[in-house]
Amino acid sequence: MTIAIRATDLVKSYSPGLNALDGVSLEVSAGEVLVVMGPSGSGKSTLIRTFNGLETLDSGSLDVLGLRLDAAHEERQVRAIRERVGMVFQQFNLFPHLSILDNISLAPIKVQKRAKAAAEHLAIELLDQMGIREQAHKYPAQLSGGQQQRVAIARALALDPEVMLFDEPTSALDPERVKEVLDAMRQLAKGGMTMVVVTHELGFAREVADRVMFMDQGQVVETSDPQTFFTNAREERSRRFLSQMM
Amino acid sequence: MNRWLDRWLTLMLLALLGWAGWSCLHWLWRGADWTVVVTNLPLYAVGSYPEAERWRPLLCIVAVVVLIVITLLGTRHGEWRRSLPLLWSAMAPLGIWLLAGGLGLSPVGTQSWGGFSLTLLLTAGSGLLALPLGIVLALGRRSDLPVLRGGSTAYIELMRAIPLIAVLFFGQLLIPLFLPPGVEINRVLRAVVAFALFAAAYIAEDVRGGLQAIPPTQREAAAVLGLSPRQSLQLVVLPQALRVALPSLTNQAVGLLQNTSLMAILGLVELLGISRSLLANPAFIGRYLEVYIWLAAVYWLACTAMALLARHLEIQLDPVRSAR
Repeated sequence: MTIAIRATDLVKSYSPGLNALDGVSLEVSAGEVLVVMGPSGSGKSTLIRTFNGLETLDSGSLDVLGLRLDAAHEERQVRAIRERVGMVFQQFNLFPHLSILDNISLAPIKVQKRAKAAAEHLAIELLDQMGIREQAHKYPAQLSGGQQQRVAIARALALDPEVMLFDEPTSALDPERVKEVLDAMRQLAKGGMTMVVVTHELGFAREVADRVMFMDQGQVVETSDPQTFFTNAREERSRRFLSQMM
Repeated sequence: MNRWLDRWLTLMLLALLGWAGWSCLHWLWRGADWTVVVTNLPLYAVGSYPEAERWRPLLCIVAVVVLIVITLLGTRHGEWRRSLPLLWSAMAPLGIWLLAGGLGLSPVGTQSWGGFSLTLLLTAGSGLLALPLGIVLALGRRSDLPVLRGGSTAYIELMRAIPLIAVLFFGQLLIPLFLPPGVEINRVLRAVVAFALFAAAYIAEDVRGGLQAIPPTQREAAAVLGLSPRQSLQLVVLPQALRVALPSLTNQAVGLLQNTSLMAILGLVELLGISRSLLANPAFIGRYLEVYIWLAAVYWLACTAMALLARHLEIQLDPVRSAR
């Protein structure tokens, strides 16, 4: 199986003596869904933000889709990766001054230089896939949180990425809106997308993840298949975290 | 007891206000002699522009007024609406061509430009120069490059610490001293440039405020989509920042229009300059009140039109409202 992401000994520190990432190593295979869990401040967000160069590394080596992305990477290298790695944020981060359609077709037109008509056609198709085709001509502020997050997913998918990163995609949503976003992600996973998902949704992790990685204080505590992780976690720290979550 | 005092005071104040209002109206209607304004309307509009060519500045003013009316009250028909930005941006070059001549029109030197047409030109010209410069300064002040940041900050702080009138004097009197003999920069151009340099510092701070209002996550979202820093600025950050800054930019524009009156001190015959030269004419001696009330009304009208336009633009740019 081909490896999509290979990280070795990643170290990242915001302030001296306190490592947000403290020697993290992992591999994500193509087509795999990896769910990253852990208490807040455990470094899980920082970790996935290194995968597309939003965070720079202090040391360690990182390989994303065959491109090196370590401490001394170049701006151009990062942009090459970002075209192939999609990301969805906790706060959606849609562009409020652009319509839903323009939000989605912006990058295909400006970055991939696709024709406007083709990009908009693709955008409509993706909105259809997300079940919100009728929102195409509205603006982000007119949509509910769940709808906005589905637009954000469509926007990321419009570049036809090989890997999708999700940084707590449902944490800012009203409880009754969580399901529609998780459903869209489930559908994506079924389609064989390589996904790294930071989330607190235990049900999603149990059902969709191929592996669950548990992090604490910048380190990987354990990586297991979901069955093992949820019923019979190896480490005491994982078990304590799970007991607090349930 | 108190209640009676209240009533009495209220009545007295009302009577006072009524009396003051009535005597004002009475003066405007009966006491004032408006011949000074009425006979000199062409002068107010176009200054001492050659009589045969007066239609040019007049056409300029009429075009602006028509454009304002169309923009504010125009039909909702899409075709017309979409050509409005184009019409507006064509207005400045058209105005300069009409006033200066050339390309088929007989050239008219800037010394004969004057009146409302000159006021319009000074405002539009300096505003159009100052806006891009202000945006560049605002971006420079937020730059990571120390030289750029330091330079922009120093420029902004320096310009804000100097009174406008000093900058204008510098433009009119000092710059020619530094130029080699024989080289002369046009007076109107000097005024426009000095105005623009001054206004840019204030515009830069308004734009910087707008830039600060855009959360860094917007830049992040743009970066993650593979947009270059320049594309992110151009397509994501600036459009939002300028919309946030629009109310303060309107403030600057209105201020700019009013500040063009300072040019009268430097000898340009824009609205205030015309008024001063009229008052120096023995035929109109002592007509200060009439002239200045008229002047105030003209400025008020122009500034109100500007404020209405800005308000209109704000509504147009509000995505949610214009989508409905």
